Amino acid sequence: MNSIARLVARDKNLSVLVVMTAVTLIVLITLLGGRFLSAGNLQSMSSQVSEFGFLALAMGLAMLTAGIDLSIVSAAVLSGIVGATVMSGQLVPVTASNSNTLMLVGILAALVTGMLCGLLNGLLIAKISIPPILATLGTMILFTGIGMVITNGQSVPIAISSYSALGAATVANIPIIFILMVAAFLVVGFMLRRTRFGRRIYLFGENDVALRFSGVRNDRVIILTYVTIGLLVGLAAVIMVSRVNSARVGFGESYLLQAILVVVLAGFNPYGGRGRVVSVALGLILLQSLQSAFTILQFNPYVKNLIWGSMLLLVMVVNYYVARWNPRGAAPATGPGTTTAIPPESAPSAAAETHRAADAVTTGGRAL
Amino acid sequence: MGNPILIAENLSISFGGVTALDTINLSIGEGEILCLAGENGSGKSTFVKIVSGVYAPSAGSVAIDGSRVDSQGPRAAISAGVQVIYQDLSLFDHLSVAENIAMNRMMHDGSRLVKRSRMRAIAAEQLARVGVELPLDDRVSTLSVANKQLVAIARALSMDARILFMDEPTTALTTNEVKRLLKIVLELKSRGLSIVFISHKLDEVFAIADRIIIFRDGHKMGDFTAAELDEESLSFHMTGRTVSYARYHRQIDDETPLLQVQGLGRTGNYQDVSFDLRKGDILGLTGLLGAGRTELALSLFGLNTPDSGRILIGGQPVSIRSPLQAMEHGIALVPEDRKTQGLFGAQSIRNNVSSNVIDSLLGRSRLIDRKAEQSLAVATVHEMNVNNKNIDTLVQNLSGGNQQKVVIGKWIARHPTIFILDSPTVGIDIGSKQEIYDRIHTLAASGIGVIVISDEPEEIIANCNRVLVMHEGTVLDRFEEADLRAPEFKDRLATIISDPEAHVKHATAALTTINTGDQR
Amino acid sequence: MKTSPFRAVFNRPSTAMEKYLLAIIIGYIVIVALKNPLFFSVETLFDMLRSGSGVMILAIGVLIVLVSGGIDVSFTAIAVVSGYTSVKLMLALGIDNILFAFVVSIVVGCLLGAINALIIYRFNLPTLIVTLGTASAYHGLMATVLGTKSFPTAAMPQSLVNFGSTDLIVINSDTGRYGLTVFLPIVIAVLVLTWFILYRTMLGRQVFAVGSNEESASRLGINIFRTKLFVYAYSGALSGLMGIIYFSELKYVNPVSLVGTELMIIAAVVIGGAKLTGGEGTILGTILGIVVVQLFQSTLVFLGLGSSWNDLFFGAVLLISLGVMYYRQRIQDRKNLVFATA
Repeated sequence: MNSIARLVARDKNLSVLVVMTAVTLIVLITLLGGRFLSAGNLQSMSSQVSEFGFLALAMGLAMLTAGIDLSIVSAAVLSGIVGATVMSGQLVPVTASNSNTLMLVGILAALVTGMLCGLLNGLLIAKISIPPILATLGTMILFTGIGMVITNGQSVPIAISSYSALGAATVANIPIIFILMVAAFLVVGFMLRRTRFGRRIYLFGENDVALRFSGVRNDRVIILTYVTIGLLVGLAAVIMVSRVNSARVGFGESYLLQAILVVVLAGFNPYGGRGRVVSVALGLILLQSLQSAFTILQFNPYVKNLIWGSMLLLVMVVNYYVARWNPRGAAPATGPGTTTAIPPESAPSAAAETHRAADAVTTGGRAL
Repeated sequence: MGNPILIAENLSISFGGVTALDTINLSIGEGEILCLAGENGSGKSTFVKIVSGVYAPSAGSVAIDGSRVDSQGPRAAISAGVQVIYQDLSLFDHLSVAENIAMNRMMHDGSRLVKRSRMRAIAAEQLARVGVELPLDDRVSTLSVANKQLVAIARALSMDARILFMDEPTTALTTNEVKRLLKIVLELKSRGLSIVFISHKLDEVFAIADRIIIFRDGHKMGDFTAAELDEESLSFHMTGRTVSYARYHRQIDDETPLLQVQGLGRTGNYQDVSFDLRKGDILGLTGLLGAGRTELALSLFGLNTPDSGRILIGGQPVSIRSPLQAMEHGIALVPEDRKTQGLFGAQSIRNNVSSNVIDSLLGRSRLIDRKAEQSLAVATVHEMNVNNKNIDTLVQNLSGGNQQKVVIGKWIARHPTIFILDSPTVGIDIGSKQEIYDRIHTLAASGIGVIVISDEPEEIIANCNRVLVMHEGTVLDRFEEADLRAPEFKDRLATIISDPEAHVKHATAALTTINTGDQR
Repeated sequence: MKTSPFRAVFNRPSTAMEKYLLAIIIGYIVIVALKNPLFFSVETLFDMLRSGSGVMILAIGVLIVLVSGGIDVSFTAIAVVSGYTSVKLMLALGIDNILFAFVVSIVVGCLLGAINALIIYRFNLPTLIVTLGTASAYHGLMATVLGTKSFPTAAMPQSLVNFGSTDLIVINSDTGRYGLTVFLPIVIAVLVLTWFILYRTMLGRQVFAVGSNEESASRLGINIFRTKLFVYAYSGALSGLMGIIYFSELKYVNPVSLVGTELMIIAAVVIGGAKLTGGEGTILGTILGIVVVQLFQSTLVFLGLGSSWNDLFFGAVLLISLGVMYYRQRIQDRKNLVFATA
């Protein structure tokens, strides 16, 4: 019992999340039974979650560095538009011989576009010191604007049939895109835990000034992080486009709110420095299951929005109480994986008074 | 000195199971100047927060003029006449001087509308009481620290304060400003105001305090008149032991300089600074806040590129334009502000210690070698004698002293050749102070060149074998080991630091006499 | 001390962003007018006043929230919900009175804003994310309870339609009939009222204080809860006010379309000089910021550019303005050895 308590205390948020997910799944399975667990439903769920998963991961990365990336959806749309344009036959006519090459070029174009979008964000934040929320707000509008100019509001159809086939392809009944997403999660998770870059991301989010004083080139960390976000966004775009076989401005608007929801649900600290990839995965499972259940139950989009919004609030309130909860016999919370989502109130321990104003709240100008 | 106006009875408070104050009983009389002394963590600030209504005590009471004011929030305390000037001054940078001074008063008068003329009148009146003139419409953010403090005092006075608490008021002030402040305080006392200084720096306060109350570890250790105490007995009561620090003597024979600074200057911060640093030197860089010491250190660390002069390391001129370059030259900096510049608060000791040396912890596959990281952290924690040996503890849960040990430990892990420590023992308990001093001595003895920036003469004497005194960006004076050995040197240094202006005149006079052929 | 004409009127020096925005506005007007003289006309002015009124009112709400140190993205949702609720109520009760419409909408908006404040204060949560949640929740709640039927002008309460087409001054030119909308005095009233509150009442000064340094404000005895409650309730009330204006000038009522523009408006207020960190912001700056937004949103057509260029231009202008604002700050910080930013 004691060791369970300790395990739980090590990562309170993750534990709460596990419980919530388990309970939700049990409820859904009980209520919906076969409809939920059917092969068809499972397959469509894993298909739907794939594109969104990349976006959620991207948002998580941004939040780790104490930022938020409002432009992920419009960057994905733009990347999709660029890729789709290549594959639409409008630039180079599609023939039997060049269709595969064009497809590859299109995919590459989408990825590069995503990374360029990320690069712009990174430069604005690192070199000009625009706060991430404002920088990505501007780029969100800019990317949408570029997409509008390119497409004139029209949808860009894809002329390569094998592309959408790729989007629907399965291996042992599991969609390839789902496998791709899982792979991405594993890679990013590994990167965060075991590489120098990953460590720097956590340290930056925790205290970027101290990181500077440790000799690290902060601007490189930011730019690289946002370029990585851009890559993830590009991948999301590739999947998104293959699923609807076209690209247009305005697609996937609700994804932004949902991405933030997943990341907050996963216990990421909006002020930076805390969050784990595995929590994002759990959050995705939870959200996708609910999303799927809503579809089965035929909730209209407004009810869904109501639920997402209320969930976001509920999750934060729960996190608030979780942060205060101290299971008996618990060891103090640990390293980069720790998730106390809300920074605890500054009740000074008797021994921790410092000379200069310990009273001043030091969130260093990060406004959320 | 009149009747007691504030009486605290059996006051106690705990935070999350840790007792911060234990059964405090004390009284403050009318027109009395009281000094609340104690080491950091002794509970002085916590006591003030209870009296001012920010915290509610777990037990006991605070009464002013017989009526209780505890647990009722700040407004009740303010109405009872309690005013606190916190160390951060609690001013609103974006508002004007007049508004900062008058806002509290206007609020308590119940005004709903802003009456410009009344605000200016209040502000002008209070500033007059303080004896100074400031531009009423300027934003407070444009004022100097000393002037900001005067604004804070003016604001406190506007509230018909009966008891004024001032938390570490003299730390950022020059001698003249301190003199002005003390004069104001005496003025206020003569008008019946009680003033409580919270301080662990007592030279100035000794001059005017009537009584001294000493806190230690959350307990009230003693209640003395100023006459009953001297510096030594005061220190004894504050810390529970007689403390004398071992001095440092340079034993190394090597005269080759590790670091040479020649005519270094940075417009607006400092100019024409020159010195040599040899192996085993502990150079003390002292002077008041604003003298340019930290700015100089930041220049050596690559965060404040100088625009004139040269830096030579190992005899070669170098240009240090970033912390990374500084570190590559073997320079380490323990920064002034531990919390915001030196530590990753919500990260473990393990991650903090490794933060500087991640590159060397990368295994063959460029991945972080967890085992190596762990052993480094464990070794550091034992080497530095951090109280909490669990390397997974979050550093924000450590005491100031332990936190500083982690910071120093993480820099030692880089094996630097030049080690700069900026105000290393600020906010640290006495035990850790001693250990850190020992550590500094050991570092120097092993051949590292150390620079210690401090404004406490005692710290300089205990650690340094050479001293540079700075004032307003220039080197005012320098001393060698022989000077430091002189018995009166401590007082002499203290005088120079606190009254640099006088020393400038003295030095200039000395120069003139030398030039005219007379001997000093 | 020399008093510039600006200072004489506004009793304070102009901020850097105000000067910059003014320059952009004048520059833009000159360029467009040169290209297309039709732009520089009373008709265009009246058009812009009409389309910009609602946005201006919302922006003032955003300003107050930013000054208090928070960010609110739920105001468009509140506007829509309040307005729609009011209209539905009017239809249900058969009351066809514009004053009634306004009162109901303002009250509902006020309540929704108050709920925002409660959640933010009680649980000490980041304002952005809370209001992100409440925006969806309010909107979804309304959609669920009231339905999302959009109905055309014919089905709308007559008073609303009349109000929307009321003009104070009418100009008949070759191109048609142009009117100075009745919204204008409402906007002016809101501007004056807010100015008065922010600069002439203690409550307003407390809002600045809380935004500047919340900890110090609470030590002074300022009631943080009351201040925040006021801020969000006032912003909500303004949103409610705007909701009616919005619905009254639409050809048909659709409870969805306004949502999505909130970030644009926040951006406009920020480039007007309000910092995200709180304690700063001017009404003039906000007005100028909105003017810039309106100019770029609705008048690019005079330059011969289709509406698909709107976002691109606006995004670019926004980024450049933000860049100017924050780069200046970065240089200052570097000089003063302030290390707060990356």
